[in-house]
Amino acid sequence: MYELELNGQQRMLKDALSDMGKNVIRPQSLKWDREKNIDTEFLRTFYAMSQAMKGDANPMEDFQEGPKQRDPKKPSQANRTAAIGAEELAWADASIMLCLPGAGLGGPPLRATGTPEQKERFFGIFRDMSKELRWGAYGLTEPGAGSDVAAIRTSCRKDGDAYVLNGRKCYITNGGRASWVVIFATVDPTQGRAGHRAFVVEQGTPGFFVGKIEEKMGLRANETAELVLEDCRVPIDNLLGGEEKYQTKEGFMTAMKTFDNTRPLVAAMAIGIGRAAYEYACDFVRDNYVLSRPIPRYAAIAERLARAGRQLEAARILTWKAVWMADHSIPNAKEASMSKALAGQAAIRACYDAIEICGAHGTLSEDHALLEKWFRDIKVYDIFEGTGQIQRIVISKRLMTGLKAF
Amino acid sequence: MISFEPSEDQQLILGTVADFAKSALLPRARKFEAAREVSAEVRGAIQEMALGAAGVPESLGGQGLGLLTAVLINEELAYGDAAAPFGLPSFGPFTLAALELGDDAQQRALLEPLLGAAAFGAVAWSEAQPNRDQPGFVTVAKPAGDGFELSGEKSFVSNAAVAAQFVVFAQVDAAQGWNGIGAFIVKQGAKGLEVTGRHETLGLACANFGQVKLDRVAVGKADRLLGGGDFAAATIRFFAKYSLTIAARQVGLARSAFDLTREYCDMRKAFGKPIGHFQAVAFNLADRHMDIESARELVRRAAWSFDAKKDEKACLLATAQAVAHAHEVAMRTTDDAVQLHGGAGFMRDVIVEKMMRDARQMALSGMTTAQMDQLAVLLLTDQALDPAVVLPTPETQSVFT
Repeated sequence: MYELELNGQQRMLKDALSDMGKNVIRPQSLKWDREKNIDTEFLRTFYAMSQAMKGDANPMEDFQEGPKQRDPKKPSQANRTAAIGAEELAWADASIMLCLPGAGLGGPPLRATGTPEQKERFFGIFRDMSKELRWGAYGLTEPGAGSDVAAIRTSCRKDGDAYVLNGRKCYITNGGRASWVVIFATVDPTQGRAGHRAFVVEQGTPGFFVGKIEEKMGLRANETAELVLEDCRVPIDNLLGGEEKYQTKEGFMTAMKTFDNTRPLVAAMAIGIGRAAYEYACDFVRDNYVLSRPIPRYAAIAERLARAGRQLEAARILTWKAVWMADHSIPNAKEASMSKALAGQAAIRACYDAIEICGAHGTLSEDHALLEKWFRDIKVYDIFEGTGQIQRIVISKRLMTGLKAF
Repeated sequence: MISFEPSEDQQLILGTVADFAKSALLPRARKFEAAREVSAEVRGAIQEMALGAAGVPESLGGQGLGLLTAVLINEELAYGDAAAPFGLPSFGPFTLAALELGDDAQQRALLEPLLGAAAFGAVAWSEAQPNRDQPGFVTVAKPAGDGFELSGEKSFVSNAAVAAQFVVFAQVDAAQGWNGIGAFIVKQGAKGLEVTGRHETLGLACANFGQVKLDRVAVGKADRLLGGGDFAAATIRFFAKYSLTIAARQVGLARSAFDLTREYCDMRKAFGKPIGHFQAVAFNLADRHMDIESARELVRRAAWSFDAKKDEKACLLATAQAVAHAHEVAMRTTDDAVQLHGGAGFMRDVIVEKMMRDARQMALSGMTTAQMDQLAVLLLTDQALDPAVVLPTPETQSVFT
């Protein structure tokens, strides 16, 4: 039956995060942005809380470790619940979800391709973080290879019981603080993706350094690092999935495809930020403009506000559909990309228009500081996890017959 | 629970309607356009399937399947020919006007001929000119004897010439402005009622848009529709639901135009490869696909909100967002469909040019994007829904009903 009702658990999660967002997270959001850090005490408390919300409805776990393989006959609610949680949390603060301790974006490839021993070893360190918070990270992008993943140049060469890695990775979320990073390298750049190998490289491995910590336009509370590998010897046990996984061309890449499901979650986060700006603008209009007076310029403001609202709804409904499909194990690569592409655009538009609607107030970093912060935060949501253009390539390939590449 | 899967019953109906639309409507769309009506044969077939009655409560002789089912049916029919539903009895605004504005007895009296004998009904709302002296309609309902006398001229009325009955809106209390309007049942052939001329329109040729002239048409007290007490709210609800039906047709139309265009871009070669293999073309299609899929789900969501008896404001907001989005999406999609067909798209041999005209015209049926945005903002900012600001009166863009 067609229905768009949250279940009890989802309603509870949404309310809890919304409450906490309003009362605890929002009031600190600007401080975190200025200090370029979310203080550890808060993260510790928040982590403990999220651990308490055990079971199917833990958005943190699903976001960090990627969707679990499930029985198609018994659809779970996990992806839907995660999307609802992600939107609410991003509404409170854009950076927080990316700062949460745990495997982060390193989780999905480890879950999808790691051997049981590797999963135990590398997920194991997150099991008890009562004393120390830990992070994982994902290192794919290089100065010369962003969307064109096949063009990575970081090399790996087998030498005895280890691989020797050389190269540079950039824009790595939590890269500096991570206990381990999933690093992609190539045995032979001419082989494209077939030459790729993925390693779990641990902090402190000789030849593995943290380079520059980036200064960014937005998401400033979140650490983005450059990583350098210089003759870094990585034990063969850290080759993700083990050597046999790379014997066939398909083995590794097929497994990697199973984490399409992070895209709708990023879409949900974008919608959360866009919604924050949009609601702010609604409040501003309600409090400051006298809409009952037939002033023609109000019509233009009203139109902008209404448009922002419906674009966000359009993005949310596609996001919900994509996660609903994921929960039912229906292939959703196209829908996941559509949600991400539409949400990125709609949320940027909402943040942009919110400033316009509030007028001069909108850009002041004292009175309405959150507005200018969201405007800075949101842009990257149309860039990371696949740019808007890359999403359109994914969609196009599933629309046109026989389109393999442009 | 969040679920995007229509019920088994709905899927069954949808399958049947989709097949019918593809086999019986799509190939005849040009024929209907030339004849400026849906053929009696096709009208009969749809009557037999009782599709128009899907959303009407069972107690009134309908199937009681709710607004969502009605919306799904409209979407599928429009995939075949979006103009066709405008030329079918019981698919027009009249059914919804009867349901939202009439009391039990009136509903029965108004709907029986529609559902039983396949007679048309029409809603006379718009007027060609705004009232320049005061807010409100120029057409008046003057108390006379036990009832009223209606005088004035109504425009943009679909199926005016073929309707057996009308719901006519008129000014009852001039001093009250848009809060002083009323709706009345008028029968075709009533003394003083004249259907004058049929509008030549850009699209939706089967709709038979016409004008209605009223010269002291006498109606009884019982012929006044009161909308269950809150007439303004009922009228807004009527326009919301009717517009949502139109939005569903926009979605069906856009899907149809998109599918034709995608096939064309697969097949048409330029510079040695299918044109769809160029990013400029493929990205355009990707954008329209996102548009259509989101519009489709927003329309369903709004219909579901009514069926699930959500708070009225939430229903209206969901509707406003869905309708405004669907209108824009259908216009963008059909425009791009013509564009991507190149010169061929401009020729009447290909149907996308008709789709572009139909989408443009549909965006002026029920409430427009601008009117829906206005409604949404009043809801968002907790303001009263003043009928003068919310209804598609002649003081704003004129609309077809």
